[in-house]
Amino acid sequence: MTPILQWLAMLVYLIVVPPLVIGIIRKTKARLQNRVGPPLFQFLFDLIKLCQKSETVSDTICWIFRSTSAINFAIMLVLAVLLPWTGFKPQIHGADLFFVVYAFALAKFFTILAALDSGSSFGAFGSSREVFLSALVEPPVILSLAALGIGVQSSDLYQAFSFESLSMAHQSALWGLVGISIVMSSLVELSRMPIDDPTTHLELTMVHEAMTIENSGRNLALTEYAHVLRMTILFGLTFQCFLHAVPWAYTAGPLLIGVIGIIGVLLVAFGVGIFEGLAVKLQWRKNPDFIAYSLTMSLLACFIAVGGGIVK
Amino acid sequence: MTFSPTEYLAIAACLTAILMAGASDLRMNLTYYSIQTFLLAGVTAVLAPILKEEWLLVLAVLLALIKGVSVPIFLNWIRQKIGVNKDIGVMLATPLSMHLCVVLLGASYLFTRTLPLAPFEGRSWPTATAAVSLVFTGLVIMLTRRIALSQIIGFLVLENGIYLFALTQTSGMPMLVEMGILLDVLAGVMVAGLLIFNIQKSFEHIDVTLLDELKD
Repeated sequence: MTPILQWLAMLVYLIVVPPLVIGIIRKTKARLQNRVGPPLFQFLFDLIKLCQKSETVSDTICWIFRSTSAINFAIMLVLAVLLPWTGFKPQIHGADLFFVVYAFALAKFFTILAALDSGSSFGAFGSSREVFLSALVEPPVILSLAALGIGVQSSDLYQAFSFESLSMAHQSALWGLVGISIVMSSLVELSRMPIDDPTTHLELTMVHEAMTIENSGRNLALTEYAHVLRMTILFGLTFQCFLHAVPWAYTAGPLLIGVIGIIGVLLVAFGVGIFEGLAVKLQWRKNPDFIAYSLTMSLLACFIAVGGGIVK
Repeated sequence: MTFSPTEYLAIAACLTAILMAGASDLRMNLTYYSIQTFLLAGVTAVLAPILKEEWLLVLAVLLALIKGVSVPIFLNWIRQKIGVNKDIGVMLATPLSMHLCVVLLGASYLFTRTLPLAPFEGRSWPTATAAVSLVFTGLVIMLTRRIALSQIIGFLVLENGIYLFALTQTSGMPMLVEMGILLDVLAGVMVAGLLIFNIQKSFEHIDVTLLDELKD
């Protein structure tokens, strides 16, 4: 494909797929509970409605609260362009793994600051929990991406995820472990089911919803869209990891890989929906145990990456 | 790094052992143990045509039946009789002991790389790593658990490791010896289970940290 076409495909992708991902999760969950559930594109209708509403803000806010949703959205767009989470993407070098991890952290940092800025006690609850979870989930994310970096001998994720590097072609065990580690960490990052139930607004447990509770109107629309975009990117990254574990994918054409990538993101969303319908929320003090499993997977991935290097 | 089927099965077995070290629920531990034994039976069955020893197939079936089915069922029955579900552990929290086991897996890799390995088919460093790591994980489970039932489980994991090492690294033991070991394990588990039952009856708990108090 020519670059212009690729950028256009990317644009359509960014508008259509994120609402579809959250829509599929909600629909699957609803069907499992014998409900009809909202239409698949309900998220887009919600966004349009939110954009028409006026905004109510707290008296204590300063520029941090005003600019946070825009900053989050901008960071997510940059990551969407840089990260190799889909086949239909202009190929850009420079997705350094440390940059990626800390760009996610920067977005989270501003969300936390904005929640504190609004002056509500719920915001403070949510921020404290979010900081607790981020501190725990950072090692598994960095270690699993570093395992890929060790495997390909570069910190550029574009190289690790390109189907051209032969050193990664037969590392099914490594890719599988990294995929499991990333899907578990992203459930924590997105504060989804075993960590936090995003549909109950129970002030004793909520994490992400507590931080965005003071947002309204267009501000809320942008925040929500950034959150769903982050979810799509992380699910896409997960699926790409599992896709790289299959040796067949290295011989397939780029167009086929792109189409499989889109279906894969929706499949991951479907799987998360089923998991959320069946799983129960963990007790808050059990959360470190859940993250410990993710850390174990990434440690094993690192071990395989380092060990594989010695064997060669 | 490409693995043969034997190596995949052996490494999957040592992964289940690592997950066992991280699970504090005793029933979950027994389920993992059962899966692990079935994987080892799979290794035995895959090795049978490679080593051209048909009796290994018989051994695989017996392994799955005795250690994979009856031992977990028996231990689960004991667990229900005593009424314990969880083992919170001593010294190390369960997630940390899981991480320790991953580190020990790395250590056993470095250790087995220095071993002189026989250049037979099916005898390679990944299976040796898995075997030594199973032994280490069994030791960690035995050392860091509070409930006496976990000590039996840890011992069984350790025994699995020794079995895997003997199967994949030596030219193998005679059939009668293997059968005898299987019988020994079954009898050992029976005796240990009944012993726990009696400890529970006279002390009213099976907490190994409190068993050092002498009683008249």
